[in-house]
Order: sequence, then C-alpha cells, then structure tokens
Amino acid sequence: MLEALRLDWDLFAVVLGGALVTWMTRIGGPWLIARVRLGPAANAALEATPGAVLVALVAPAALSRPSDALAAAFVCLIARRVPMVVAVVAGVVAVVLLRRLL
Amino acid sequence: MTIPASPPKSPGQEFALGTVHALPIVAGAIPFGFLLGSLAAKAGLSAIDMGLMSALVFAGSSQFVAVELLGKGSAGLAVVGAILLVNLRHLLMGATLAPRFRGVPAARAGLALFFMTDEQWALSLRRGPGLTLAYWYGVGLTLYLAWLASTVAGTLAGALIADPAAWGLDFTFIAVFLCLLAGFWRGVGSLPPWLASAAAALAVHALSPGGTWHILAGALAGGAVAGWQGRGQGKERASDA
Repeated sequence: MLEALRLDWDLFAVVLGGALVTWMTRIGGPWLIARVRLGPAANAALEATPGAVLVALVAPAALSRPSDALAAAFVCLIARRVPMVVAVVAGVVAVVLLRRLL
Repeated sequence: MTIPASPPKSPGQEFALGTVHALPIVAGAIPFGFLLGSLAAKAGLSAIDMGLMSALVFAGSSQFVAVELLGKGSAGLAVVGAILLVNLRHLLMGATLAPRFRGVPAARAGLALFFMTDEQWALSLRRGPGLTLAYWYGVGLTLYLAWLASTVAGTLAGALIADPAAWGLDFTFIAVFLCLLAGFWRGVGSLPPWLASAAAALAVHALSPGGTWHILAGALAGGAVAGWQGRGQGKERASDA
C-alpha cells in the first residue's frame, strides 16, 4: 500500500509539463480562430477534421488484423441504429468471438 | 443515440442531461481507464502518479502514449512532446467550438475548456447553438470523475488483468470512436475525407508504428480533401476571403 502512495517527483514534473501543453491545445483553438478569417475551403476542411481525426485514431488499430477489421465493420453498421453502449458491448463480444475463429 | 430538440431548460436540468448523455461514454471509458491503470502499474507508476496524471492531463490517448514511453524510460521532454502531439487535435476541435464560447469570459472559458476531450467535444457539438456551460460541465465532470476513478483503480489492481486483449477490452476504444464517428456521417460526401485520412494514417503508422504522427497525418489529409470538396461553395464571398 505504501508503494501505491509513493510520488515520483521527476515523474510529477513530466505530468505537470504534459498537463500544461495539453491545456494549451484545449484553449488554443478558440484563441486562434478569433484571429484568423476562414474561406469556404478552410471551413469545409475544419468541419471534416473531427471525423478525419477519429478515422486516423482508429484506422491502424481497427485494421491491424482481419478479426478486428470485421468487428469494426460490424460496429459501423450498428452504430447509428442502437445506443452507443449496446454497440460497444456488441463490438467487444464480436471481436472476442472473431479472434478465436480467425 | 439521438438528442431531441427541446425547449430551454434550467442549468440543473442541463447539467443532469449532460450527465445522462455522458453515461454511455463512461461505460466505454471505465474499462479503458482500468486498462491504462494496469499498464501504468506495470510501467512502474504508483496510484498517486496515475491519479495526478489523470487529474491534470485528463486526455486518454496521450496518457496511454505517456505511460508506454515512461515504461521504456524515455526522457521527460520526449514524453511531454508526445503528449503535445497526441493532443494537437484539440486545437482543431476547439476551433470548431469557438462560436459556442463567444462571449464567455476568458477565465471561465479557460476552465471549461480544460475538460474538452474527444467525447466531450463530440457530444457538445451535437447540441448545436443550444449548448450551455451547465450541459458542458454535466458531461465533463462525469467523464472526469469516471476517468480519475477507473485509472487509479486500474493501477491499484495492477496486474489483475493479465491479458486485456483476451477479454477484447483493447477493442473498447475502437468501438467507442467508431460510434462517435458514425455521428459525423453527413452522407456520401463524408467518405472521401475519411478514406484519405485512413490512407494517410495507415501509411504514416506503418513508417512510425509507435508514434502519434499518423493522427496528425490523417487529420491533415482528411481536411485537405474536404477543403478541396468545399472550395466551390460560397463563391460570392471568395473576393473578401
């Protein structure tokens, strides 16, 4: 239990640094956008960015093996038809089964 | 999940609504946080270390990267740099939220934006112009507490989950992000930017598997294709752009 309560000060400095840069990325967006004017292309790009970020986040992991790719496709199919928690649980069950089969 | 249009609500009702909307995400975040905590324990982090990181950084994907690098004994600056890279996407997300924060005093906006995560942002954007700070904090504080509790619990439990992949828990975050992605489907026009993002992300990921550049690459590729698609719109305003 004592070990669980130990605080590593070098690590704490890294955490503080990480916290600061992360907070700056969070407040930086509205700050930047207030100072830059956007044309239609830039607006369309900005609008599509969230989806593109999500795709980039999941693509390497989702396509890492056939079982995961199939389960990911399954989640995409049901995602708009059932509540999110149902889709997530169904996806996890599917990936466990598919990993055993494939 | 659909969010029905409704008449204006009191701050208390808005907060409660945010809490309710956050619950499905909490269900996905708890195993994710627990998994991160157990990995952190293996990397030599204490529960206090993990708790401080979750409380102050509060950004899941970047914490996974940080824990991995800390376990390898990477230099502090490299870890901070990696955290920055993973979270650069917040800049673009925050930019899309800017209209909602217009008129909010800087200090209050700065505090509220601390809670901006992928999920917070996705839920809030779907509220449209009707987004309130009460709703924002309903979502944000719920996710914050769930994240803090699950990552610390995971660290304390340590190596209890010997092989998370065997339980499919590593797939949780893929499923959650795919569900969030489905919310951004705007018809076939959404497909080209997404395919471009996937192609760029896969290519860059193949070149630097441990890195986080593929997220930036995908965002830029998807944004570029969407910009090209949208270049013809609003030509009458092109002269003053």
